[in-house]
Amino acid sequence: MKESFLEIKDLKKSYGAGAARQEVLRGMNFSVKKGEFCVLLGPSGSGKSTLLNIIGGIDTPDEGFVSINGDKLEEMSERELTMYRRKHLGYVFQMYNLIPNLNVKENIEVGAYLSDKPLKVDEVLSTLGLQEHKYKYPNQLSGGQQQRVSIGRAVVKNPDILLCDEPTGALDYRTSKEILALIEDCNKKYGSTVIMVTHNEAIKYMSDHVIKLRDGVVRNNDINDRKLSAFELEW
Amino acid sequence: MKNPLIRRIPRELRSDWHKYLVIIIFMVVMIGVISGMYVGHDSMLAAVYGGRETLNLEDGSFELSRAASKELLDDISSGELADLRAYYINKGEKEADEEVSAALEEGLGEEVRSAIADNVRAQCAAFGISDETLIQEQIDSAISESYDDALEQARDSEEFRQASEEAYREAHEKVAELVDEKWAETAERYGLDDEAFVPVPVTIYEHFYKEEAEDADNDGAEDATARVYRSDCVIDMASFNEGRAPETENEIAIDRMHADNVGIRLGDTITLGAKRFEVVGLLSYVNYLTLHRHNTDLMFDAFGFDVAMVTPEAFSALGSRLHYSYAYKYGSAPSDKIEKAAYSDNFLKALITQTLAHDNEIEDYLPEYMRQASNFAVSDIENDSAGASILCYILIGVIAFIFAVTISNTIDKEASVIGTLRASGYSRAELVVHYMSMPLIVTLLGAAIGNALGYTAFKDLAVGLYYNSYSLPACQPVWSNTALVKTTLIPLLLMFFINLFIIIRKLRLSPLRFLRHELERTRKAKARRLPKWSFLRRFRLRILLQNMPNYLILVFGVIFIELMMCFAFGLPDSLDHYAEKAPSMMFAEYQYMLMDSRDADGNAIETAEESAERFCAAELLFEKERSSFREGLGSGGDESVTVYGIEKNSRYITLGSDTENGKIYISSAFANKFNIKPGETISLHAEYENSSYSFTVAGQIDYEGGIAVFMDADSFKSVFEKDADDFSGYFSRREITDIDASAIAAVITTEEILKVTNQLTHSMGGAINVFKYALIVLTAALIYLLAKIIIERNEQPISMTKILGFKNGEIASLYILPTAIVVCLFSLIGFAVGYYLMIRIFHLFMLQMDGYFAFYMSPPSMLLSVLYLLIGYAFVSAVDFVRIRRIPMDVALKNIE
Repeated sequence: MKESFLEIKDLKKSYGAGAARQEVLRGMNFSVKKGEFCVLLGPSGSGKSTLLNIIGGIDTPDEGFVSINGDKLEEMSERELTMYRRKHLGYVFQMYNLIPNLNVKENIEVGAYLSDKPLKVDEVLSTLGLQEHKYKYPNQLSGGQQQRVSIGRAVVKNPDILLCDEPTGALDYRTSKEILALIEDCNKKYGSTVIMVTHNEAIKYMSDHVIKLRDGVVRNNDINDRKLSAFELEW
Repeated sequence: MKNPLIRRIPRELRSDWHKYLVIIIFMVVMIGVISGMYVGHDSMLAAVYGGRETLNLEDGSFELSRAASKELLDDISSGELADLRAYYINKGEKEADEEVSAALEEGLGEEVRSAIADNVRAQCAAFGISDETLIQEQIDSAISESYDDALEQARDSEEFRQASEEAYREAHEKVAELVDEKWAETAERYGLDDEAFVPVPVTIYEHFYKEEAEDADNDGAEDATARVYRSDCVIDMASFNEGRAPETENEIAIDRMHADNVGIRLGDTITLGAKRFEVVGLLSYVNYLTLHRHNTDLMFDAFGFDVAMVTPEAFSALGSRLHYSYAYKYGSAPSDKIEKAAYSDNFLKALITQTLAHDNEIEDYLPEYMRQASNFAVSDIENDSAGASILCYILIGVIAFIFAVTISNTIDKEASVIGTLRASGYSRAELVVHYMSMPLIVTLLGAAIGNALGYTAFKDLAVGLYYNSYSLPACQPVWSNTALVKTTLIPLLLMFFINLFIIIRKLRLSPLRFLRHELERTRKAKARRLPKWSFLRRFRLRILLQNMPNYLILVFGVIFIELMMCFAFGLPDSLDHYAEKAPSMMFAEYQYMLMDSRDADGNAIETAEESAERFCAAELLFEKERSSFREGLGSGGDESVTVYGIEKNSRYITLGSDTENGKIYISSAFANKFNIKPGETISLHAEYENSSYSFTVAGQIDYEGGIAVFMDADSFKSVFEKDADDFSGYFSRREITDIDASAIAAVITTEEILKVTNQLTHSMGGAINVFKYALIVLTAALIYLLAKIIIERNEQPISMTKILGFKNGEIASLYILPTAIVVCLFSLIGFAVGYYLMIRIFHLFMLQMDGYFAFYMSPPSMLLSVLYLLIGYAFVSAVDFVRIRRIPMDVALKNIE
């Protein structure tokens, strides 16, 4: 039995003040094991992106804590948080946020530069099927290709945790499946813990661990024993 | 692994090359010109200072009325005072001896004649002769026969010997008495009792010259006066800008500046006196960097005065009077100005006494440190460039600011990327470094190219400017540390800190806020409600409101441009205005400064001119507050102040009633320059002495012509310990013709004041015009960059409006019109602000210079300074319109997030 790698404890977060105050996370508890593919499911406003941002160290909780490998994020200084993101995290967003005047390979190198143990850029390019596009600029790529680059940028760091915020939100069905397959591959091949935020119910079937959120609390926290591959998913 | 973000920089440079090209050109021009000025300045000074050594510049010179004997030269060289008392006694005794001898001879002759006559009369009486005619005949015959023998006998007599000894002794006693009587006065006059006197041994060089009429175009009319020296002089030698030294009797080398001004070229023939010469060299004498004919001339005259070199044979053949001028060099060089003054004082005493003791006369004396011809240009060059470098820093500050704004816009545009990078672990410092690199690289590039040009093309520009004014030697570029610091380090630091400040502020936001595009620190609660205007009008107003920060920068830029315009137009206007006002600035049509209030005989110098009025004057210094910025730049000299002692009920200057107890009135130029108010106490000090004077300001006199202090003549004499009948010169409404020219040190007339402004305009005129047009180009570049920021920032909405079906003309009216309105409105406001600022800046600038004149702009210049900006903007608008037309529609589609 694997030990807990990521632990979320009594996490609370609200925005605004007075009458406009909105509680986004209202005491959230769960843990994720190392190497797990974990999906955070929930409708809009359920607090899943906020939760992901807190895990990613780019937002802070009002109460409770997130601990990674026993280290509590809220005890870290800003500098330590930057180092935490630099050394342990990979981020994939719904929008690709690539640097327009760097080509595909260079955009991936932007991630590799940050890591002490980066993967080989060419190997990542091959894994992502981007070898033939490596000298193209982002505006010469389709949305799916751009998202592959954005995954490459995150994966090349060989991160302990890969945080994915609606990575297929802007993609069509077919491309979405390809992207999910790539994330699945990275999880298997490089052993990264994947935490993916999505509102797509179908994706839960390819994960090890499904956490359903609603109104800022965990409604379900299930382990999926019958994982499907990304290409087997239908929605 | 190298940070891959570095690769963005060359691509960014390539993709937006026109913007960076404008910026780099802007920087290259600014830095190049300033670097050129410093390099030119340092190279020129190096050449001048080097020349002082290699060309053996004198420490001073004097001219005698006739050639000095070897003994006199030896005695002057010793630096010792002559024993004037012995000289006077010796001279007095000689004169007395002659007088006594003559008196004795006369008396003796008389007595001998009388004795012969008595003898003849006695003999005639013995013979009974009584006819007086016969007796007189006998007497005459006896005198002619025996006078000489009798005289000889009488001379040999003991009685005569005793009498003459007595007479000589008495006469000598009288001489000694008279010398003693007058000695105190003489000693005081020449400062002979000075206990601090230390002999200053010198080496003396013969440096004779002749002054000949120069006919530059051989038309028979005199064009200038040429002061001619021999080519074999070993003191105060010349360097050759072109050509060579004369080698034959028909060859001549003349001053380059003079040749330039009157149009003489190598190979031309000119006439000096009655002799024709071929010009074989254009030279610069080390002691004539400016062509001051007399040291008392307010301004040099490179048209009417020339210095020339001919062979010794040709020199002998010139017909005019020989000037017995001698140059000297001290045995040990004085270390500073005070020591130079002390050396000069002591040497002068030795010179005066020795010349007197050798019965020669001093026609002229001038220590080198007071010589305008060799110091005027140097101090002018030393004082240059401070103003230009300040302007350079302001411009680089503006560019830095434009950069910072551009980067700030880029950061806004790249918010998501920055958020992602920050979320991925890029530290804020890494991003700051990344965004800082572009301005620093561009500045370095600009500085490198600018400095390279500074050492080549622009150096010649600066040197050319100096050559245009002064008779300077040829110079080689020297490495200038000042140029490096001021044109590379300071711009880099300016760029670094301005950008650092803005970028750090901008990147202070959390990664999440970048990801969410929450870039404003405070969110507006709700959108502003607009009046019920037409849709396009409201749209335009929205654009204006949304781009407020950019418009604020534009406004700032417009104000700055107007400031520069005020400078470019105002500087020549101020000079012209000063020249125009000069006649009304004079408090007397003629102001005669005398060499001394007494003539050689000790009588006061008087004039029959009715309008003449005596005044006293002294030159003192007012200590300026010096900033460390200015240290080492030039002389950093204190302000020279003329202190006038004015007669009671003067017809020329009306003092207030409050002139007791050291109270003074100051000129309005003095009051305005240093912001001195009545009631304040000011301290003035003498330049070469350790004496200072404190005065309380009682009021001010409306006089813009100079930095001056006025007090009543009695107070003046008491403060400066002058005799009651002492004075320095005359004010007069009409020309004074009955004072010997040699007694007049200087005459200040309106023409003299105008000569100064004319020379300034002549020396600076070309540069000011170049500067004016350079500023107009820089203005266009600046407004181009500022307008570009607004269009760049709105690329997406412009693209979107195109998608929606707006025509290019409509879009231009939406995005260009607000800018046009802002530019037009603020060109006027900017002018007012710029004009006011320029008055302040000009005042600060004048504080660094000697003298004072206020900033002035003529109404046409005011109009033009606004018009040029608007014309510049009209061109930029045209470019903007093209820019808007070229924005593709997919900009809006591709980047939507």
